[in-house]
Amino acid sequence: MQIQTTIDDHRIAKLAAFAIALHMVEAVIPSPLPGVKPGIANIVTLYVLLQYDFATAAWVSILRVFASSLLLGQFMSPTFALSLSGALLSLGTLWAAQHLPKRYFSAITLSILAAFAHIAGQLIVVRLWLIPHASVSYLIPIFATAALFFGLINGLITAKLLYNKTQLLESDKTEHGST
Amino acid sequence: MRKWPISLIAIAIFAMAIAGISALKQEPLYHTQSYVFGTLVDISIYGEPEERAKQLANQVLQDFQNLHNQLHAWKPASSNQPSELGTLNTAFANGNKPINISPQLATMLIDATDLSVKSQGLFNPAIGHLVSSWGFQRDEFTAVNIDDAKIQALVKANPRMTDIVVKDNTAYSTNPNVKLDLGGYAKGYALDKAAEYLRNQQVKNALVNIGGNIIALGQHGNQPWRVGIQHPRKPAAIAALDLADGWAVGTSGDYQRYFTLNGKRYCHIIDPNSGYPVQHTQSVTVLIPPQKNAGVLSDVASKPIFIAVAEDKARTAAMLDIQYFMVIDQQSNIVVSNALAQKLEWLDPEVKKNSHVKLVTLP
Amino acid sequence: MLSLLRSPKPTFKHMLIGDWLTIIFSVMLTVYLFQTLWSHEHASKVQIRIGDKVYAAYDLNQQRDIKVHGAIGDAVIHISQGKVRFSKSPCHNQYCVHQGWLTRSGQAAICLPNQISLELIGEQKPYDSLNY
Repeated sequence: MQIQTTIDDHRIAKLAAFAIALHMVEAVIPSPLPGVKPGIANIVTLYVLLQYDFATAAWVSILRVFASSLLLGQFMSPTFALSLSGALLSLGTLWAAQHLPKRYFSAITLSILAAFAHIAGQLIVVRLWLIPHASVSYLIPIFATAALFFGLINGLITAKLLYNKTQLLESDKTEHGST
Repeated sequence: MRKWPISLIAIAIFAMAIAGISALKQEPLYHTQSYVFGTLVDISIYGEPEERAKQLANQVLQDFQNLHNQLHAWKPASSNQPSELGTLNTAFANGNKPINISPQLATMLIDATDLSVKSQGLFNPAIGHLVSSWGFQRDEFTAVNIDDAKIQALVKANPRMTDIVVKDNTAYSTNPNVKLDLGGYAKGYALDKAAEYLRNQQVKNALVNIGGNIIALGQHGNQPWRVGIQHPRKPAAIAALDLADGWAVGTSGDYQRYFTLNGKRYCHIIDPNSGYPVQHTQSVTVLIPPQKNAGVLSDVASKPIFIAVAEDKARTAAMLDIQYFMVIDQQSNIVVSNALAQKLEWLDPEVKKNSHVKLVTLP
Repeated sequence: MLSLLRSPKPTFKHMLIGDWLTIIFSVMLTVYLFQTLWSHEHASKVQIRIGDKVYAAYDLNQQRDIKVHGAIGDAVIHISQGKVRFSKSPCHNQYCVHQGWLTRSGQAAICLPNQISLELIGEQKPYDSLNY
């Protein structure tokens, strides 16, 4: 039996693989505070969202969460729950935020909003399930600062990537035109 | 990727700030709280090994317990172990035959009489019968039926400290209506005893709080001991001040021991001239500079100021040589002597904002 | 795709007006979070003492009732989202219950008859001892 794969499937697989790689790289970087990570894999999600569509971005993001946790042996662990809840809330926010007018809001806004949603999702899991009696409230400002900072950086990177890409396409076009 | 290390450093700084706050470095501070006969005793000792600090604190508690046993005015003499004061009160009631008392009690009586005279009778530990008719001798206050005739009779009987004759460790009273209640004196006395004991034991730094009256020895590390003053109507401190070596602070309030009847508050501080609890004042705080009986003064001096009417309060304070005092009246207006105002740091947000604080300078 | 691995220097020239608004809003939110959740007076724990012993310390960030057995009976201490109070006490005068909510570090409620005290502890205590 052979499974029919489409070009879309391949594209999703490739992008997801890249996101997984970034996720893994980040997983081995020691973090001074549990939960505070740059979230560079989100760059891929954002890139895919803006380059293709929301469905592809959602696939890439969810695949990354599941595959990374399987590879790291964290499937169904608290880390996985944190990762998944963060990704889901982040996707929900992106779904809503993609309708913002592109003239005024770039990838940077999406990235910051997604980062805030990501920590919010994680904190909800911490509060409701992992350590319901612990005081997480005093950690919230730190997480928010991290979200703002990394959301901005990731957004700038994504914006730059998209800009390079369009420039590349445009230069391609001009080359074609000259010949 | 040059940006990552910078961001990681930023996060690391936050993490260190958190760690720094949570892991406040361990101080050589021993702190204990105990209840002794319905009184909260809170002792802090700084800079002594914990074992020794514990022993010292226990000894202070033990001394206070002994003092309480000796001065408990309400144990009837007929019970198996009457207190020394209980025996004396029985003797006072039964006639004017002198009975033997301990040198310690004799000294206390002479000192208390002195202070009573100085306060023109507003501090009057001889009105034990009035206190018990209001039910204020019990640990738990309950509303009593106010018997105006009885109160008037008790005031008319005019029990005064000067009715007591102390001579060669004996005492008798020329007035059978005298019943001693050293409730407004004993805590301060215990404070002085505790400070004296700790100093004799070479303790440099300690803070002793007996039922709200506090005396300081030395400092809390490189800073002075810091003391909060209870807000009479809120579960918080209204102000804070530094208590330097040898200083003592005391507050009389209508909020610690009282009962309410028909919407009126009856607190444990009785005006000996009327026989009724004082209702015009919420609290009086006095700060006492270092002297031999700083603890006693912190306990005693706030009462006459509390009892005196508003216009007489400053004069009453001057009469007792009290420079540092604060009065909060029933409308929550605050009157502070200039000397004390310079030492206070207000903590209550309302006072900070409205500053309806009236400053009074002593004449 | 490999361009992602090259170090792309973030530049601010891609920022649009809406991005700036988002950043300003986020900074304000973060500052607000710091102010409300990190103020020094904010207490984090309540310490319950029974007699001369520290009975327990509870985090204030929860909703729960704690039943404590004191000298004369059971008292109920109610913790709710950063605040704590005596909600039931067997004592006659009920001063402790009337004290109401304690919210800031250093605040205390004492039930002398039942020998139970509550004290809020936070990052910083404004004083060593309370004069009352």
